[in-house]
Amino acid sequence: MRVLVVYCHPCEESFNRAIRDVAIRSLEEAGNEVRLLDLYAIGFDPAMGPDERREYHTPHANELPVAEHLEMVQWAEVLFFVYPTWWFGLPAMLKGWCDRVFVPHSTFVMPTDSQPMGPKLTNIRNLTIVTTCGATWWVSKLVGEPGRRTILRGLRWLCHPKCKTNYLAHYKMDTSTPPSRARFLSRVEQLARLIT
Amino acid sequence: MRVLVLYAHPVETSFCAALHARTVAALEAAGHEVDDCDLYAEGFDPLLSREERIAYHDVPENRQTVAPHVERLQSAEALVLVFPVWNFGFPAILKGYFDRVFLPGVSFRMEGGVVRPHLGHLRRVCAVTTYGGTRLRAWLAGDPPRRIVKRVLRATAPRAGVRYHALYDMNRADDAARRNFLERVDRAMRTI
Repeated sequence: MRVLVVYCHPCEESFNRAIRDVAIRSLEEAGNEVRLLDLYAIGFDPAMGPDERREYHTPHANELPVAEHLEMVQWAEVLFFVYPTWWFGLPAMLKGWCDRVFVPHSTFVMPTDSQPMGPKLTNIRNLTIVTTCGATWWVSKLVGEPGRRTILRGLRWLCHPKCKTNYLAHYKMDTSTPPSRARFLSRVEQLARLIT
Repeated sequence: MRVLVLYAHPVETSFCAALHARTVAALEAAGHEVDDCDLYAEGFDPLLSREERIAYHDVPENRQTVAPHVERLQSAEALVLVFPVWNFGFPAILKGYFDRVFLPGVSFRMEGGVVRPHLGHLRRVCAVTTYGGTRLRAWLAGDPPRRIVKRVLRATAPRAGVRYHALYDMNRADDAARRNFLERVDRAMRTI
């Protein structure tokens, strides 16, 4: 499968970086073709500016500011997200990437009076999230996991109707231990190997 | 009351800009003192940097880079968010405000590994927002921004009454629907 790993963390010594590296290695060993998008490393600008917003609904013009990113999501069969959950959601960097890249006409069909919105990224058949949460499992469930829903429900509507989803989270990250992190990395490895 | 308005839309001719103007005007007409924070106009940087991430749990050093925003938040008695819902979430610039300003020692504190709310000074929290999609679609998606406001902000500001004012299906909303929503927001802000 063609896998785009979308990675978002500002620190190269972070646990998220270790997750990313294990995921990429396992994905490649399982025979996948992997491309990495490291949003902090490339200095992606997450705030959609006024000109971009004005052209947001204009076919073709709305693709120009993010053309290379659109090319990547149109290439991929799998979007594999690795990010820390901050305030129960996506870091602003990753949220801004979604805001700017998933533009109408090329990634979804705008709704009309007679029909609802429709998907255009039918090349994507798998959405996977691996994340870290400061909160416990219970608190995350109580809040309703907004970040998970933003991607696995909101974004999924743009993808193939049979698109599969995976979600793996290390909870209580602030009190994690070397064994808990090692266990989690082995789960990441297992999950990544299942994507073929 | 002292009201901090956080506004997050880049285009001054948008419907969200009209909601923002109406919100501020209604609050002032009702005699409130408004601190109007237009995140785009102020050039707010939404990115939590490497240095900020490393110092995140060091109270009070962690607030150095956003000290003016922390002071504005702490001196407010009410918080009003005016934003469009994009991709079933806050626009990145508003999400970044939470990432960078809602810090340990500011909006919550850690006590023996347990998170405690720290925005007890807020008496009201309101959201004024628009969705491109229908309410059904937002509900099917789990309505992440509504959950953040009604669950997370409610828990962080335990003494505040929380209100969520949303106009759904903006892509197909006619003038009447928009006018009605502006009126609704006007009334809500006057009686905040």
